Amino acid sequence: MYIYDMKKRSMQEPTFLILTALAAGPQHGYGIITDAGRISGGVTRLQTGTLYMALDRLSSAGLVEPDREEVADGRLRRYYRLTDDGAALLGAETERRRASAAVAAQRLSARLAGGTA
Amino acid sequence: MSAAGPGQAAGQDGDRPARDPAGAAALERRYLRLLRCYPPAHREVHREEMLGVLLAGARPGQRTPGLGQTVNLAACGLAIRVRRIPGWLAADAGQDALAVISLIAPAAVLILLALQQAAITAWASARVPPWLLVPVLPSLAESVVGLAWLAVVLLALTGRQRKAAAIASVSLTLALLILVILVTAIMQQGHNVNLPGALFQFAGIADVPVVLVSLAACSLVFSPGPRRGLAIVGWRRACLMIAGLAAGFGFPAIVQLADPAAPIWDLAFRLLGVLAIAVAVAVTCVRSPAGRRVAGLMAAGLLPSLAVTLPVRELYLVIVLVSLLAAVLVWPVAIVSWRGRGRAERRRPLAKPDLDFTAVYAEFQAFCARRRLPASSTRQLERAWDAWQAGRYRRGEISQWPYYGDNPFRPR
Repeated sequence: MYIYDMKKRSMQEPTFLILTALAAGPQHGYGIITDAGRISGGVTRLQTGTLYMALDRLSSAGLVEPDREEVADGRLRRYYRLTDDGAALLGAETERRRASAAVAAQRLSARLAGGTA
Repeated sequence: MSAAGPGQAAGQDGDRPARDPAGAAALERRYLRLLRCYPPAHREVHREEMLGVLLAGARPGQRTPGLGQTVNLAACGLAIRVRRIPGWLAADAGQDALAVISLIAPAAVLILLALQQAAITAWASARVPPWLLVPVLPSLAESVVGLAWLAVVLLALTGRQRKAAAIASVSLTLALLILVILVTAIMQQGHNVNLPGALFQFAGIADVPVVLVSLAACSLVFSPGPRRGLAIVGWRRACLMIAGLAAGFGFPAIVQLADPAAPIWDLAFRLLGVLAIAVAVAVTCVRSPAGRRVAGLMAAGLLPSLAVTLPVRELYLVIVLVSLLAAVLVWPVAIVSWRGRGRAERRRPLAKPDLDFTAVYAEFQAFCARRRLPASSTRQLERAWDAWQAGRYRRGEISQWPYYGDNPFRPR
């Protein structure tokens, strides 16, 4: 159902960042937060609550899944990985964003060309 | 405060030496308290790792969670809880709960209607001689409403769920319409509303909690039905639940019956009324997942009573508004949970009512009584059913080993 919704609507920024962070390989919660910050160039700062709410939703939609668990400094760390469905959805979203960006770039360059003409 | 950001000094591993062990312990305790906003099932899976992430993102020496983080955790916890409500009801235990409610709520509404009428008669007979009591005899409209709910109960018990649901829904629609008209009139004309008397007569049901009426109607429409509810709780427990609900919600009427001059609008009395409903809700909570869901849904009936305790001037308007809101909100919850079930799952109990199941079930109940097996919760019934089937398998009465066979109480 979620995949269906996502096809109709554009993906929310935190979801996009989480899926992108996991595209390179499995990561634990804190790793996803720091990676998402890096990916967005420091613009989006994921909160812990937001991350786990998104992970809860993405897991039940089958887009991400737990990979393994580790104990570091007496604390449990659970790693998450992207599923094939998640990768497909991220691919589709990336393509959509690329197309939108291409249109924006094209119009901007036309505007600049018109301004200088 | 953010959990972490690219500008922060934390490494990918999130290792941070604790400089202040007492402060770190205090911070951990406060984070744990905040994590209680999340549903227990979520906490069980994610608590440790969330705590790890939160502590890894904390500043050195930080002792309390930041305001932004507190709000974020509370909001996300609440959002997950709300998101799980349809699933909570769509699960087998949720559908069992709705089935039980479709059995007990219409009966409770019927008893409350009778109690209300008796209370009015008692109140009037304390003021006028009995031979002048004609005006407080039930009007035609009130009799129609009472008869309609009697029909609902009888139809529900005899397995004609759809007819019962149709009558209950018409009655609820009328009650809601009258409440809407009443709210509009109070807002426009103040307390001296000038509405045709026939309208109030038609309400009939206005003094019975409309939330309960709404729960009765929507559980009849969107549930496997009262007969399934009866198979789950049994007659004895069903009667206990109905009596509890009628006593809790009909508390003012019962007191008026005993003492017609009782000060039913005093704050202390109102608080007692809330307590009575809370106890009634607790009574419906048999110790099982389905029972807890029954109590959770019935707790919606507490909302108008809690509004009664508010020290506001427009009290009646507030009660009516809260009642309306709670009565309407019950429906989307039931509909979403019903849609959450697969089509085949929804059809299964409706297409094949448990008629042929009744005889088998009577035999099963006799087995439970003989062996003194606990058989009130769905889980207990599931185990008892397997035990019964195992005995039948040993005796050669059935050919399939029970754990591979159909168990009506096993979660699917």
